[in-house]
Amino acid sequence: MQRFSGGLLVVLLIGTFPASAQSTTELEKGKQLFLGMCSRCHGVEGGGGEGPNLNRPVLSHAPDDQALAAVIRDGIPDRGMPKVRRFTDAELHAMVIYIRSLSQNTAAAITGDREKGKAIYQRSGCSSCHIINGEGGSLGPELTSIGAHRAPDYLRVAIVDPAAALPRGVMAFPGHGFNEFLPVRVVARDGREVRGVRVNEDSFTIQVRDAGNQLHSFRKSDLQTLEKQIGQSLMPEYKSKIAGSDLNDLVAYLSSLGGAK
Amino acid sequence: MRMARFGILLICAALSATYAQVPYQRIAAADSNPGTWVTYSGNYQAQRYSQLDQINRQNVTQLKPTWVYQMRNPGIVETSPIVADGIMYITEPPSTATALDLHTGRPLWTYTPNIPPDVIIIGSPPVNRGVAILDNTVFFGTVNCHLIALDAKSGIVRWDVTVDDNKKGYYVTGAPLAIDGKIVVGVSGAETGIRGFLDAYDAKTGKRVWRTWTVPGPGDPGVESWGGTSFQHGGGSTWVTGSYDPDLHLVYWGTGNPAPDWNDDTRPGDNLYTCSLLAMDADTGKIKWHFQFTPHDVHDWDATQAPILFDAEVKGRRRKVVSMANRNGFFYVLDRQTGEFLAGAPYVKQTWTDGLDAKGRPFPRRDADPKVEGTLVYPAISGGANWWSPSYSPKTHLFYQPTREMAGIYYKGDAEYKDGTAYAGGGGEVKNGDDAYGAIRALESTTGRLRWEFKLLTPPLAGLLSTAGGLVFGGAEEGNFFALDAETGKPLWELQLGAAVRSPSVSFMIDGKQQVAVTAGSSLFVFGLP
Repeated sequence: MQRFSGGLLVVLLIGTFPASAQSTTELEKGKQLFLGMCSRCHGVEGGGGEGPNLNRPVLSHAPDDQALAAVIRDGIPDRGMPKVRRFTDAELHAMVIYIRSLSQNTAAAITGDREKGKAIYQRSGCSSCHIINGEGGSLGPELTSIGAHRAPDYLRVAIVDPAAALPRGVMAFPGHGFNEFLPVRVVARDGREVRGVRVNEDSFTIQVRDAGNQLHSFRKSDLQTLEKQIGQSLMPEYKSKIAGSDLNDLVAYLSSLGGAK
Repeated sequence: MRMARFGILLICAALSATYAQVPYQRIAAADSNPGTWVTYSGNYQAQRYSQLDQINRQNVTQLKPTWVYQMRNPGIVETSPIVADGIMYITEPPSTATALDLHTGRPLWTYTPNIPPDVIIIGSPPVNRGVAILDNTVFFGTVNCHLIALDAKSGIVRWDVTVDDNKKGYYVTGAPLAIDGKIVVGVSGAETGIRGFLDAYDAKTGKRVWRTWTVPGPGDPGVESWGGTSFQHGGGSTWVTGSYDPDLHLVYWGTGNPAPDWNDDTRPGDNLYTCSLLAMDADTGKIKWHFQFTPHDVHDWDATQAPILFDAEVKGRRRKVVSMANRNGFFYVLDRQTGEFLAGAPYVKQTWTDGLDAKGRPFPRRDADPKVEGTLVYPAISGGANWWSPSYSPKTHLFYQPTREMAGIYYKGDAEYKDGTAYAGGGGEVKNGDDAYGAIRALESTTGRLRWEFKLLTPPLAGLLSTAGGLVFGGAEEGNFFALDAETGKPLWELQLGAAVRSPSVSFMIDGKQQVAVTAGSSLFVFGLP
């Protein structure tokens, strides 16, 4: 009952505030909601992470406020953006106001040189496992439009410590909670051992691509060992190989991919 | 002339035989006619157990498809078929009833009511979980909150009544329950702030016989458990089919969450009779007793799981009991004559309560309440269990339950009531990562103690069937349909059906041969031995 009265009081106060104070209240409310539900992927200041950065004037899926509200309300399921929960119109409005305010922040400057970064990408052997614009090997994730989906900070981590940036599955199938490119070690009953990345799995079978990009399909009842190497990545870490300005250049190159409209 | 008269006699005899195709007595004696499946959970005790044993531990590996039916409408299929006298009755999403020839799967009739384009469905996908049958009539509910009676042979409408106003968010997803002369039907809509109820209709006329509110009104006992006028939009949906004890003449039905779900600011108190099991007189709907699993729920712990009835030795004497593996993560055993709490134990990881007191009331941890910034709680938003059917085997005395081991993040949000709009006050999302999993668990039916488990990659959303052949049939989110040894949980057979299994299995016979039916994606499969 006490809490109920408190709620009423807040409503009355808002009703008497001038317009600017109202929007300050909304901005604060939007920030609180954003920090709770959005910052894990989009960064505390909207600088991005596993999700794209939002501190830029034009958002590719949300050209106007109405579209932004729709993205927050419905998510973008095939891009990994969840429909977190139901919102009231007031909550949506507050989040739109807050997210739009982020574009006034200075976006984390990308200091690198993308052309130099492209050269580093080519000479470091990245294309043996990643496809950009149809060129390259297919063991790892495609990077053609990676700049539109991942923020620079996340890309930096993915290069120096790939296991810390294992992508979560975005397909409706195989479903929630399924990490893609999970390294596995499989030993069949006949002693045959395969190390590779998990392509798909169900309760009875698993499909694996090995380092040579060959597909293996197993029934789990035929295995003596199935080791899921959670927290590891098949991608070599480039911490000692690419650093300093080279790292900035490579991040600048990757960030430019698919980002420009 | 004599031949013609004989022919007319034959037709009349056939007509009178079909008139009462599935009388009440036949449903009450369902276990004696295991070749059919005449009520949602197979029998009034909601055991979802088949007495058939032709398919068993020795030969289950030989199962082959008998036929496959493809749904006409897109959408999630959660139907549990009814099978009687050579016909299978199913529902297709969102609100279509269809009869199939049991021998071939060929459609005999299908009926789709007019569903207005602005139909309000908040709180679940637009699904339907099946029909009920009584005498010569088939009954099903719709997303615009009608209850429709169709002639079982032709699909022609006998009557069509509005259960309640869809503009306020009321809708029907559950299969009705047919008892003696009456059709009992529950509603969804707590996420829109409905005031919940359970209805019974005269099977012949469609006239309402009784309505039992699951949330008390002004002056009713229990209204003081709400604070202010919050009871007016208090939720308490009744969206999963209950059970029935013909001897005690009581209907058992679970109730859903209070509204708004995750914001409790306006509803101090226990919020009776949400998240409860109600035992109601079958003639009047009068509540004989209630047991509230989760007083003052803030996590959406609907008690909308099938309440399974069986008799067992508990606390020193033979009793009639009712058991439920609740969404809140606890397994309960109650005396079904009195509602007395007999046993309760967690069957999944849970972090919202420090346990139950001697009367089964939880000690909620207030630091597990939803917050604007989110609160991590086990189990996740769909609970340790949900609507998907458990199964009880009178042969093994085990309670089989599909379980979800997963954490959720619970958010508190604004809640403002407006007719026909969301009144949920927040929500939740599941915690991503490879550490979530599912399991089919066999629990000792009087204690909830774990006897065995079979792990699943992903938390399941499909029910179970146990059989006298010593099998438990279940389905996985990745499309596996499987049979486990009912005694040990060992997997004996599995087939990839290509899309998520979301419905419980049923079993019946075609020409004296046992079959098992299940849906995956938009297809319904019937399996039998070659």
